[in-house]
Amino acid sequence: MAEISFPLPDLGEGLIEATVLEWLVAPGDQVERNQPLVEVETTKSAVELPSPQAGKVVRIHGGPGDKINVGEPLIVFEVPDNTAGIVGTVPKEEAPKRRVRLSAVLDED
Amino acid sequence: MSGRHTGEQHSHTVEGTDPQLYVGVHEPGSDAGLRPVLLLHGFSSSSKLNWEDTGWLTALLEAGRRVITVDLPGHGRSGAPEDMDSYTPSRIRADLLQIAFDAGVRPLRDGDPSSGLDLIGYSLGSRLAWEFGATQHELVHRLVLGGPNVSDPLADFDLVAAQRHLADGTPIADASTAGLLKMAQALPSNNIFSLLSLVEAVKSEPFDPAEAVPHMPMLLVAGEKDDRAASMPELAALGAKAGAMVEQLVLPGRNHTNAITSRAFKQGAISFLGV
Amino acid sequence: MSNSILEGALIVESPAATTVMSMQQALNRALDEVLAENPKTLIFGEDCGRLGGVFRITDGLQAKHGEQRVFDTPLAESGILGMSVGLAMAGFHPIPEVQFDGFAYPAINQIVCQIARMNYRSRGTLPMPITLRVPSFGGIRAPEHHGESLEALFAHVPGLKVVSPSNPHEAYHLLKYAATRPDPVIFMEPKSRYWQKGEVDLARHDAAGGSPTGAKVMREGRHLTLVAWGAMVARCLQVAELAAEDGIDIEVLDLRWLKPIDAAALAASVRKTRRAVVVHEAPLTSGLGAEVAQLITQSCFDTLRAPVERVTGFDVPYPSGDLEDEYIPNIDRILFGIQRVLEYKRG
Repeated sequence: MAEISFPLPDLGEGLIEATVLEWLVAPGDQVERNQPLVEVETTKSAVELPSPQAGKVVRIHGGPGDKINVGEPLIVFEVPDNTAGIVGTVPKEEAPKRRVRLSAVLDED
Repeated sequence: MSGRHTGEQHSHTVEGTDPQLYVGVHEPGSDAGLRPVLLLHGFSSSSKLNWEDTGWLTALLEAGRRVITVDLPGHGRSGAPEDMDSYTPSRIRADLLQIAFDAGVRPLRDGDPSSGLDLIGYSLGSRLAWEFGATQHELVHRLVLGGPNVSDPLADFDLVAAQRHLADGTPIADASTAGLLKMAQALPSNNIFSLLSLVEAVKSEPFDPAEAVPHMPMLLVAGEKDDRAASMPELAALGAKAGAMVEQLVLPGRNHTNAITSRAFKQGAISFLGV
Repeated sequence: MSNSILEGALIVESPAATTVMSMQQALNRALDEVLAENPKTLIFGEDCGRLGGVFRITDGLQAKHGEQRVFDTPLAESGILGMSVGLAMAGFHPIPEVQFDGFAYPAINQIVCQIARMNYRSRGTLPMPITLRVPSFGGIRAPEHHGESLEALFAHVPGLKVVSPSNPHEAYHLLKYAATRPDPVIFMEPKSRYWQKGEVDLARHDAAGGSPTGAKVMREGRHLTLVAWGAMVARCLQVAELAAEDGIDIEVLDLRWLKPIDAAALAASVRKTRRAVVVHEAPLTSGLGAEVAQLITQSCFDTLRAPVERVTGFDVPYPSGDLEDEYIPNIDRILFGIQRVLEYKRG
């Protein structure tokens, strides 16, 4: 397994930091892409940050009231090796399935 | 996030003019079969800031609700008309009624959970929702009012001081006025003069919750550290006196700015409206 | 990892001194070694540097070899390939990446009109030692432009070489080989196979006598030859296992190089089996299967027991998402193709 760190993203409007209001996930949780992760407040508004990816939460940074700078680690996910950043789905290895049977009388001349 | 976003410029004329309001109709991936929810944002905010970035839209769509969002005049992607009349609360309520009908909202019918409309407002949006509920009781099923207030802070806004400050930087004496102006200026996307028109229009029609009281069930929500929470029981008493079932929810540790993202607020609203 | 690939590989590979790794790891290792061995090598593309590539193929290379040699580019494929032309002229050995096959289209001018012709145009004074890595084909249910099968397009252009590895061992060796060529090579990585692990013999590519520019027999058989490349090789090996249950002994030939095609290997295999089916993901019409069928007919006309069959994608834009399952040749469609050849009667 590999760890992927997700930093506090640029929240726009020249904001450089945000305050954690409440975590909506905890270490050990399996989260889906776009699932709400955390509420944070900036000097201008409060926002809910959706997860950029699926994975298991390993660590979260900052408790309620703590300030985090844009670009600093916010949350760390554990993901299967080498799946980060993919567009699409990692194909599953499945046992071959068939419906067609071959029939032939092969002349060996 | 599931659901389809069909944002459109509202094109019906109301009282002879085009309100230029930006309306979004968001369809859930799996429809719970309940009436649509109309979201009304606060002063100096927008549907995006108040409802999308905060996770409300996603949460409501996941609950199977069809959602209608509208940017108030001078806010978000709506137009910023020059005339003062477009910003009066009564005119905005007329526009909202037209938007609701355009989005397919039908009057309440007994035994039909898809009929009617639920409203969620925040701050100024709660004032509008209170009045809309009081005047459209055949349409509105339930109300959720976030950060509500018995009076309207915009009514005490010192417009002259604000105009002077914008013109030459003269400090504003009134703390509430200074705070509201600072909030409006914080977002570069705000049309500040259009927002001042809204303030002026609100001053011409100050909020008087006792004048018309909604009597459908309502949920009042405010942060514990929001000054407005103190007056919430007054609103609750008004509603109860008019025969409404009133519930109140106080969000620990939250203030007027950060109550909006609260999970407890969303879950409370979704379950209150999920009937 | 399906056993069939391993069994196929073991026919020609020595079992000694092998390492198990994914195709991602094999490609990453090959690039790491190429960077270390040739100081003129540069790697660049969208997200290739800091992120390490959306498929992690260049993971860690920037940290190890520096931002001067492994770096990110703007989202502009014509710029990525245009820059490669200039760098090659200046004596560098660029290994650019086009993040997804569908993004190669904006760079077609640079690839076809510049990279493929520069050596010819300059009478050999400006060779283009460029290895263009293209994550290719479908199988990951990606959105539009993220799954295409462009081999026929590239193979049609004089001056380009085209190669596609089918497993981690081939990926490691073919990429190392391509990166040392003086000519431009389009390196088509089958993205649906990136995560599959397999044994890699780092010391030796092919058995004694094998050529890195030729095709490779992945499974020997007597009755019919399945010709494939990229991700379809693994599927054909699965089909061969299933056909064996019905008493049909199938040979699987991994073409590896799609330009130039190893006509001798096709001839040798089909002279033995006398029947051939070619499988590819690209649409049927003017696909590389037609070229393969012609080469086989040319060399094996007298011994063929049936016309060469093609099992391919359909003549539609490469579909996205779940529709891939209907488009990419599946086991049953390949078995049907085999059955058509087996039951062919001369009229």
